[in-house]
Amino acid sequence: MTVSHDVLSHGVLSRDVLVVGGGPAGLSAAARLAAAGLTVAIADEQPELGGQYFRRPSPAVLRAHGDHRPEGGRLIARVRELGVDCLTGHLVWGVADDGRTLFATAPDGAAVRLRARHVIVATGAYERTHPFPGWQLPGVTTPGFAQHLAAADGTPVGRRVLVAGSGPFLLPVACSLLDAGAEVIGVAEAGHPYTPSLRATAALRHPARLRELAGYMARLARARVPIWQGRVVTGASGDDSVSAVTLAATADPSRPVGTFAVDAVCVGYGFRPQTELARLLGCEIRADAATGDAAPVTDAFGRTSRPGVYVVGEAAGIGGVHLARARGRLTAAHILAARGGGDRREIVRLAARTRALGRFTALGEALYPSPAALQDALVSALPDETVVCRCEAVTASDVRAAATDRAGGDLNAAKSWSRAGMGPCQGRFCGFAVAGLVRAARGGERGEPVFPARQPVRPVPVETLLALGEQEPEGDAA
Amino acid sequence: MSARTADAVVIGAGVLGAAAAFHLARAGHRVIVVDRGAPGREGSGTTAGNLHVQAVHTRRPGQEVPLDSARFLPLQRAASDRWEKVEAELDASVELRRSGGFTIAETPEQRAELIAKHAWEERAGIATEVLDGDGARAALPLLGPTVTAATWCPLDGYANPLLTTPAYLAAAVRHGAQVRPFSPVRAVERSGSGWRVTAGTDAPIETPRVLDVAGPWLGEIAALAGIRLAMTPVAIQMHVTVRLPETLRHLVQHIGEGLSVKQVTAGNLLVGGGWPARRFDPDGRSPISAASVLGNMAQAARVLPFVRELRLLRAWAGPLAATPDEMPVIGEVPGAPGFLVAGGTYAFTFAPLWGETLRCLAEGTAPPVDVHDLGPDRLITPVSFEEAR
Ligand SMILES: Cc1cc2nc3c(=O)[nH]c(=O)nc-3n(C[C@H](O)[C@H](O)[C@H](O)COP(=O)(O)OP(=O)(O)OC[C@H]3O[C@@H](n4cnc5c(N)ncnc54)[C@H](O)[C@@H]3O)c2cc1C
Ligand SMILES: Cc1cc2nc3c(=O)[nH]c(=O)nc-3n(C[C@H](O)[C@H](O)[C@H](O)COP(=O)(O)OP(=O)(O)OC[C@H]3O[C@@H](n4cnc5c(N)ncnc54)[C@H](O)[C@@H]3O)c2cc1C
Repeated sequence: MTVSHDVLSHGVLSRDVLVVGGGPAGLSAAARLAAAGLTVAIADEQPELGGQYFRRPSPAVLRAHGDHRPEGGRLIARVRELGVDCLTGHLVWGVADDGRTLFATAPDGAAVRLRARHVIVATGAYERTHPFPGWQLPGVTTPGFAQHLAAADGTPVGRRVLVAGSGPFLLPVACSLLDAGAEVIGVAEAGHPYTPSLRATAALRHPARLRELAGYMARLARARVPIWQGRVVTGASGDDSVSAVTLAATADPSRPVGTFAVDAVCVGYGFRPQTELARLLGCEIRADAATGDAAPVTDAFGRTSRPGVYVVGEAAGIGGVHLARARGRLTAAHILAARGGGDRREIVRLAARTRALGRFTALGEALYPSPAALQDALVSALPDETVVCRCEAVTASDVRAAATDRAGGDLNAAKSWSRAGMGPCQGRFCGFAVAGLVRAARGGERGEPVFPARQPVRPVPVETLLALGEQEPEGDAA
Repeated sequence: MSARTADAVVIGAGVLGAAAAFHLARAGHRVIVVDRGAPGREGSGTTAGNLHVQAVHTRRPGQEVPLDSARFLPLQRAASDRWEKVEAELDASVELRRSGGFTIAETPEQRAELIAKHAWEERAGIATEVLDGDGARAALPLLGPTVTAATWCPLDGYANPLLTTPAYLAAAVRHGAQVRPFSPVRAVERSGSGWRVTAGTDAPIETPRVLDVAGPWLGEIAALAGIRLAMTPVAIQMHVTVRLPETLRHLVQHIGEGLSVKQVTAGNLLVGGGWPARRFDPDGRSPISAASVLGNMAQAARVLPFVRELRLLRAWAGPLAATPDEMPVIGEVPGAPGFLVAGGTYAFTFAPLWGETLRCLAEGTAPPVDVHDLGPDRLITPVSFEEAR
């Protein structure tokens, strides 16, 4: 959707609140704030609101199968009814010199400046990928991609599919593939989370969450899909597309334990917070030793080191859809309270819920291997000749050489000298592996977890820059 | 801790420090290079990498005076010649490319400047050719309709900065130099007739010669030795588009504005010209200015309309040290025997020449070019009474 011209004055959109990211977190915050009478705009680079979890199915799928997540459709409808300006197809890619005005590109390439008293960053997460020989072959995808294809378009990524990686997310993906008609030959989980003690620990306090997981396990058992624990993918092969995939023990990834015939394989190790915009806004971040990721420093209300800038949902830390929504609502309630409105009891209730969900997330995380530990295991087994950065065709040995010889274990220097992470994906696909290779080069000592955030966060048409330059409204300056 | 000794300590592993270390080590001197971070990450890792041979008359936005081109050109000529030997000397490719460059004009005054600079270039033995607008577009059809004149210089070129500093350092190490990254210099003191340099956690180094080539921090290092130099660190920025098929084979600059555009070997288009970053951050993380992105890219798209069709991939900022007269600084600090400094304008183009010049100055032999008027004496600011106490 393009914003009508009465909404924009000389390409500037000013609202009480700007939400970047129309996923569960951003939508929840926007709905609460708009209901309280604030003017709210929500920008999302996707053509439809919904984010990862509430992504809208295609019209054909809706007709044939109905809406698999009707609460998402209701939330989006509510946001629209409340008069929130929904800037779909708008990539927010940069920050003006005042440190507050955001730059966006509309679907037709037009330029928009976004200004608000309260900026809520709800940019979600992206999948944690790790390279292995053959990962560039057609048919090798991420679980998230397979899930979207299956849930939104009703199409499986392949006929014989292996789902691999780590985290609870692999189970619903495998189920969606079954629903879409694929044969799932197995789920390979790097850790050993699925033990009887799982029930004992979490069931008492979080029966609903556990029922969800148990439901997926039951569905997989009915379809006789094996779950192999302590296994990682270490190679894929095939001529024009993937035809075989090799698994190895997580404990010793250099030793293969089996090869399987497939026509698709989905590999992913969970999610990393997408923090570029928060960092460009000047929000302080910290490295998380357990995940090997960077997360913005936020308090319970999503406040950051920059006054008026909030980070909510998975951009603030991975925790699933319920936590993302609760965080969005809590930030909204806090903003209302700070403006002298709102309801104290609402804040207390939401804060308690957020804490409880946070504890559940921590419990869940404890079941799976920490991404930082996985990073070490996977990186040590990564063959030298494997392409790590697909955009710039940089191999593991290129990164290793750059990291050891010249970079002295400095991530950004290793990027400069190897070109890994310099392409259009801005290091989203290779960042985790490059950080791991550099960490190995510095003898395991932890350094910067992520590449520095750079404008634009994704490539922007020069036409957009020219349009922004021509608008030149007052107030961008530092 | 027992003291270590060296014939020369090079402070700063940028392209100047690397080149100086190479020339000194090759001549048999024992050299230690120290850097506070990873080598080649500051000015030398963020530079555009242009080899400027025709007069660089461009003014960065905010630059107060133009440099003295008539004085500068003979040096540029010598620097240009010196680059021809670099790849053979270092036994490495630095993607050196001499594909020539255009400097364009859009106004009658700018056109007059082109003609004036052409005369200085002739005097310095640098071949350039003046073209009118149509002539320029015939030579480079990518140029837009606002271009009214251009000079063409076949010697303008490019070397990949991400290869150049590492290649110099590797060659220096092959000749016995030691490189100590992540060793910030904390003290530079007189010690007998020489100097004692304390860097990182290593034992202090006793040396007769200190080469202060710390780029934007050159003044800060000099201050450790009690020397005040009028040098201003500034941060400027670069822009890079997504890759495209080979389209622009030449360097394109502007005579009256800060603009340089070229396509690098990987296929990306690099747009620079000295537009200011949001601020200089001494910790090496200067944030870019969005206003400069918009300004610099608009110029590029005006002069080279095909740029409109591209997408901007990334922008970054890099630091450099500016002198009040915009001329480079190279030489020994008066009253501080053995303390040499080098830096300032266009240090990338000059690195091979300055590397050799610094060796000569350190040895007390005649340098390949006359640099007596480029010494730090003109930058020395008096230390106040309170400071001296
Ligand atoms: C396929 C899939 C299935 C999942 N299944 C489950 C499940 O069963 N249970 C569960 O608890 N969790 C699940 N998750 C996780 C869940 O989706 C997330 O927890 C939740 O979506 C996080 O919400 P969010 O609003 O923080 O971010 P997201 O939903 O990721 O939304 C972020 C939004 O921000 C937009 N955006 C990002 N950057 C920009 C920018 N620069 N400019 C403009 N827009 C931008 C994106 O387009 C996106 O729409 C799943 C995730 C995926 C990918
Ligand atoms: C964006 C940009 C574009 C440019 N474009 C061009 C161009 O096209 N052509 C051209 O000729 N020139 C260009 N220049 C100028 C030139 O490239 C740089 O000025 C040059 O590379 C600087 O080299 P240097 O060795 O003097 O300093 P630097 O490369 O900055 O190196 C200085 C070193 O000193 C170190 N240091 C600092 N403090 C300490 C300490 N306390 N202890 C130890 N070490 C320390 C730093 O870590 C750094 O590595 C450009 C500069 C920039 C920033």
